[in-house]
Order: sequence, then structure tokens, then C-alpha cells
Amino acid sequence: MREIPVANWKRRVSQLGFLVILGEFSFYGVFRCPFAVPYVSCGNCPVLQCPGRDLWIPVWIGLLISGLAFGRAFCGWGCPGGLVSELLSKLALLKGKARRALEAASKYPVVIASLLVFFVLNNPRWAIPIRTGDFFNSVSLTFEHADQLWLWRTGFILVGLAFALIIPHFWCRYLCPTGGLLELFNRISLVKYFTTSACNGCDSCRKICFAETRPAEINCVNCGDCKKICPVDAIRLGHGEKRSEEQQAQAA
Amino acid sequence: MKEHENNFSRRGFLKTSSVAATGSLLLGSSAFASTFKNDFLQVWSCGGLAEAFIPANKAYEEITGCRIDYSGAFAAALGKSLLGGTKTEVFAPRVIELAQKLKAQGKMLHFVPLCFTKYVLVTPKGNPAGIKSIHDLGKPGVKTVLSPNASPPGGEASTIILKKAGVLEQAQKNAVVVGDCVQTVVPDVIKRTGDVAVMELRLTKKAEFAGKMEVLEIPEEFIPPRPVSFVIGVMKFAHNRDLAKDYVRFITSEKGQSFFEAAGFIPALSTEGERLIQKYGVKDA
Repeated sequence: MREIPVANWKRRVSQLGFLVILGEFSFYGVFRCPFAVPYVSCGNCPVLQCPGRDLWIPVWIGLLISGLAFGRAFCGWGCPGGLVSELLSKLALLKGKARRALEAASKYPVVIASLLVFFVLNNPRWAIPIRTGDFFNSVSLTFEHADQLWLWRTGFILVGLAFALIIPHFWCRYLCPTGGLLELFNRISLVKYFTTSACNGCDSCRKICFAETRPAEINCVNCGDCKKICPVDAIRLGHGEKRSEEQQAQAA
Repeated sequence: MKEHENNFSRRGFLKTSSVAATGSLLLGSSAFASTFKNDFLQVWSCGGLAEAFIPANKAYEEITGCRIDYSGAFAAALGKSLLGGTKTEVFAPRVIELAQKLKAQGKMLHFVPLCFTKYVLVTPKGNPAGIKSIHDLGKPGVKTVLSPNASPPGGEASTIILKKAGVLEQAQKNAVVVGDCVQTVVPDVIKRTGDVAVMELRLTKKAEFAGKMEVLEIPEEFIPPRPVSFVIGVMKFAHNRDLAKDYVRFITSEKGQSFFEAAGFIPALSTEGERLIQKYGVKDA
């Protein structure tokens, strides 16, 4: 039976706290944001009820600081979508069977496509903004009057999230553009979980990891859930340890 | 004596009723305030009216104790839903033809004039380019800000205004910003990227833009009539028609109309509104 790491409850509290702060904004971004790329054009958005009108700048500044300081930690400690993905992943059918080679290959095209739509196409509106309205009516009207492209974009997100029922954290590992951007920070972040030269490559950390990765490797969200499970105490929190190529290859 | 008493009482009743009705009309208080407590009403309107409807609804809720479930969005989209079979209880569309279509289908019981929008020229604070009239948009060197692909009341209406003024082609050549949403180009005027834009007065009243631009009149002869008028009507689906009628009565009262004036509209209940009602024939035939 899998051991529940001691640090886990702190992460749960953090996730719930961020859910209170960002949950509604996350919901609006998926279900009511009229723009092609959500969460980035909030300053000019006519959807009056969306909390993103006040939150989007602090959120992006926070993400930048968080990325520089802790790499992809937001994904594991704060992202409401990550929480949904994590909960769905508990039921995943194909745990530990996904091909890791695809993780980088699939995520960065989504990041690039999002940046192109935002910067080159000026983030067009693909749905009619329901400026204000009650919960179900507004979502229903948004879907009813949205362009095909908006329906595809929203379907892409929802199906991507739902795929967590098959492959754990499918959206976060393979498709999430925010996760992809934060992944870039993982290499340079000030603080992260990493394995020391004591690592013997037993893979206990990967087995317990909900994202099926190892510290400081692709998709590591610095949750720290693996720290206590390491049989040789080779997982540390810090800036990282310079290791020879031979050591890295051995650990891998 | 009895007859006299009856006459007196009838006269007294009529007198009291008319005073109460006039009072409620002017002050916007509900005639059945206590009756509607804990009831609810679904109201849809053109999204442009949201800044007026939100505080107006709050005021009505405070008076009556009922709940208003309000949705504001592009009226053509809401209209399409309503014409297609979706239901709401009170609807306030832009463009009178939409109300007429709903009425012809038997879905809207009746409607009354609500307010009018006003198209104006806006320039950065201080009007640095010295814009004086719509004709200046056609002058060489004037930097115009356009949004021709915005939703029709913003995009198409502005294009018609420029066309009617005979400056469309030159204004297009002078464009330094061509956006697809009226709201997104407002900062380009405020930050002086452009010298002038055509937009609805209501946009200049939004909290984020208020007091940051100069507003100049556009002669009425250039304004297209279609997107100017807003009406409000009770739908046949209203579960409590007295409540729906009372709500419409409040919105079109002096108090209700004050919210629309504050949001940059011309209230129907005003001298100017009355003139526009006559001019554009805004009435329930």
C-alpha cells in the first residue's frame, strides 16, 4: 500500500486556498472567456462578472515570481485546474504506462500556438461575451452563440482534463500552455527539489509521483511528495547539485 | 348620504390611487413592494445596458425584496435565442425590430421605450490634434482609431457615420489602429496613439475610461437610426406578470431612468428622449 507523504496536507491546504482565490477566475477562463486564449486579455474583456478583470495582472506577476523562485510549483500547489486534474487522476486507468518522450514534444507546440494566437492574431474573440448573468444561463448562452473555433478550444481543454481518467495528469503533462511556460523556469528557478549524487535510480520517487516524474525532471511541480519516500535520502530542496554526466546517466 | 359617501369614497380612492401611481412613477418605488418579496424575475438585456441595469436592479431588489436574475449580452444573440425558443421574463433589446419580431411571434406581450444611445467623437485629453468635427477625420495627418469589425452597434454604426459624413475612405487611410472591438481600442485614444475615434457616449462613462477623453458631438444627420433605440418589454413567459410589469414600470420611472442617464444613455423619460421617441417612432404599434 502506498505511503501518504507527511508533507501532503500542506499542499492540500495551499491548493484549497488557491481554489478559493482563483477557482472562479479559472472557471470563467474555460467556460465564459470569449477570447481565443483565456486569462490574458482580461483588461479589455466585457464579461463584467469575471474576477479576472481585477486578478489577471497580479496573477501573471505572481506566476512570474513563482516561476523564478520555485519553477513549476504553482501547478502542484496552486493551480485549480491542476487540482481537478489531480483528483481525476486518482481514477486513471493507465498509471505508469504513458510514454515520457511525448511530454515535451506535445506541450511546447501548444505554448507556441497560444503565443502566436495572442501576439500575431491579437487574441480574437471567438465567442459572444455574456457580460453578466446567472451561472447556468450564462454558460449555456456562451456555448450557444460561440464560434466553432471557441467550441473546439473549449473542447480541447475539457477533453484534455478528462483524459486524466486514462493517463494521470494528462492535461498538465502533455498540453497545458501555462505549465509549459513554467516548465522553462524549472531549469533556472532558485529553489527546487532535486536528487543528489546519492540517488541510486530505484525510481521510488517516480512511483509515488502523481505526475509520474522525478525531482527536477520534466513535469516535476516541486510538490515534495517524494522527499520522504526516498530510501537513500537523496532528495533535497535547494538550488540543485552539479553532477557529472556519468552520475546523471546512472541516476536516469 | 350613502350615495354621497360612496361617491366620496370612490373619488377618494381614485385620487389616492392616482397620487400613489404618480408618486411611484416619479420616485420609482414599487406599487406592490411587499407582494414581490422573495419572488424572482429573469431579465435579459442588450449587453451595452449592463452598466445601467446592474445598479438599477439592485435598487429594485432593495425596494421589493425580490431577486432579479439578470443577463446582459449582445442583443442579437439573445434575440436569436428568444426567437428560437429560449425563454425569459423581461427583455430589453437594442433595435426596435427585434421587439416587434418577438411581439409578432406572441412571445413579447408589449414594450415601451427605454433609452437611446449617443454616438460621439472622442479625442485624447486636451484634444491635441485640435479635432473640431467629424469632417476632420478625413483630413491628411489626422490619426484615426477604427474598429470596423466590432459588433454592429460599435463597428457597423461607426462606419455608416463616417460614410454619411463623406469621410470614410480617407478616415480608413488615416487609421493608425484598426481593432475588432470598440472597448479594446479606447486605450489607444487615451494613450494618444490616435487622435480621434467614433464611439458610443456610454463607453466614456465606464469607470476605467471616465474623464480620460474629450467628447465632441456628431450631427444627428449622420447617425444611423437602427442601433440608437432601446426598448423594454414583458415576455409572455413571465411567471408573475404583475412583478414583470412593476419592474418595467420601475425601470422606466424617474429613479430607474437615472441609472441609464448616469451610464451615458439618453433616458426615454426626458425631453430629449421624448423627441427621439417621436423621431424614430419608438412605440408599440
